Amino acid sequence: MNELIPLMVIVPLMAALLISAFSKLNKVTKIFAFVVAICLPLIPLLSNYGLHYFGGYEPMLDNVTGIMYHPAITYSFTFLQQIIICAVGLLTFLVIFIYLTKYKKVSGPYLFLLFLGTAAVTAMILTDDIFHMFVFFEILALAQVGIVAASSIDFSYEMALKYMILGSIGSPIMLLGIGFLLALTGSVNVTDIALAVHTGLIDATSPVFLLSLALIFFGWLYASGLPPFHTIKSGIYSKAEPHGAALLQSFTVVSMISIVIIMFRIYSSLPIFEVLVVFFSILAMILGVSLALTQTDFRRMIGFLAVGELGFIGLGIGLGTNFSITAGLFQALNEIIITALLFIGFGAVVHATNEVDTRKLGGILAYHPKVSIMLLIGGLAMAGVPPLSGFQSKLMLVQASLSCGFPEISILAIMVSIATFVVFVKTYYTMFLKPKPNDLDLEGKEVPKSMVFAMGVLLIIIILLGIFPDVVTSGISNFVGGIL
Amino acid sequence: MKLYDQIFDVVKQFRKLFSPGPVTNADVSGSITAEIFLIVSLVLSAILLRHVNVLLAGLVTLIVAILLISNIPLIPKFKIEQEDSLEKMIFYAVLVLALLVTFMYWGGNLV
Repeated sequence: MNELIPLMVIVPLMAALLISAFSKLNKVTKIFAFVVAICLPLIPLLSNYGLHYFGGYEPMLDNVTGIMYHPAITYSFTFLQQIIICAVGLLTFLVIFIYLTKYKKVSGPYLFLLFLGTAAVTAMILTDDIFHMFVFFEILALAQVGIVAASSIDFSYEMALKYMILGSIGSPIMLLGIGFLLALTGSVNVTDIALAVHTGLIDATSPVFLLSLALIFFGWLYASGLPPFHTIKSGIYSKAEPHGAALLQSFTVVSMISIVIIMFRIYSSLPIFEVLVVFFSILAMILGVSLALTQTDFRRMIGFLAVGELGFIGLGIGLGTNFSITAGLFQALNEIIITALLFIGFGAVVHATNEVDTRKLGGILAYHPKVSIMLLIGGLAMAGVPPLSGFQSKLMLVQASLSCGFPEISILAIMVSIATFVVFVKTYYTMFLKPKPNDLDLEGKEVPKSMVFAMGVLLIIIILLGIFPDVVTSGISNFVGGIL
Repeated sequence: MKLYDQIFDVVKQFRKLFSPGPVTNADVSGSITAEIFLIVSLVLSAILLRHVNVLLAGLVTLIVAILLISNIPLIPKFKIEQEDSLEKMIFYAVLVLALLVTFMYWGGNLV
């Protein structure tokens, strides 16, 4: 059923518009949002792999050159897209479920932003058109700003505004890079552009082509929150509602891999591309984890850790082999799930204590054992402790960098994992194990059951992916084989 | 003894890092870990230059190690540069953009 491919974008997009239009009908909005949210992870599971040409414009063969051109906006749906869209869909469902059960009167505009963001990242990972990707990248940036601004946390407006201002630098720069590519190739279809580059129709060493890489790369840094945008990225995570932050980080990961795959297909013939990706990924890992170690606000700490984990994804892509890219994409899937679990879990702690400073917390384990244990396992998964999913992807990355002849990167990756473990153990001890401060009231404050349910679902996926990584990695490896 | 005094002074300087509010053992040990992690990881990254030139890698690694160790504590300085100030964020964003464009336009073929 290839007809379902565009529906993966159209369903959340239409749901966003309808919910926004009929948000005054509270009960109808709640039921409609819930039903659509259930459909989101199911559509990619039911759909067949294949291509969808918008408007029905099939590829055309140029009889003179023998080159196939793609006039239509094309969506490509393979195993990677299926697994990523399914993960984001499931996370959207869990986040909307938490939101609907938390508030009696729901906000239509907030639900609009959640669905809009999901539609945007889905389109970004599906599309084979670089301009189409940019349009949804912009929509996603606006949705992210809205989700942060709509939260009830202090200074969320300010942080959202800063993100928007920085976006006003990152996005036009990326558009300029896309413009240069269009000027060089006469096409915005990624397959056509890649073909033109790899067959030598374009001089890959021309300064304009190199400049387009620099500009698109800068936009990618903004989208993925790699340095110099790591501070603002961790900032917006900490100023969003915890369930919103869980979704925001998944948006970041998906937009990161969507853009980097497109860049890889176009620029992989340039060695400088891989050097740049590895350089900024290492920088993100070092800065993210070092800054996480010094945080006393645990939401900010998770934000910095999430940025550091993005470095692992970039590292896998930057090394450029089938095995390393597979490891990087597997790490991306793991990060979506693990970081979401941590954001929701720490959100449950905020709900129970109304406190974000680790120095003012303590003894939570005795009051909320379920949340504490699930958070512990989530933290261990992020640090790469076996047999959880994070361990599998990080082990693959260490093996990949060793086999590429970069033992320093392997050591660095292990060090970052150890430092992540230290961050988590320090925070866990401070919040859950040390004696409860006298002025902290934990009696009778329950954690919403929906949050515990969401954490449970995510935890099962983490354990299953840790025990059976081949279920995912073999499919991802086939996808990577196709783009190499 | 000078290096020992310097390290001891680092711990005292961490107090400012966590103000306002109390400084706990966990916070100080976390910051010392961050300090050591930062130095070791940057030195380790500098060794990657051996893929360009072994002599250059040795020289840069030595310089980076000496610079970093003689400038401890690094984390307070790092943290000040990476606070939520819009001016600093824009400064670093524009700086990276300028370096990227300059390097790619004139030096992208050198790698």
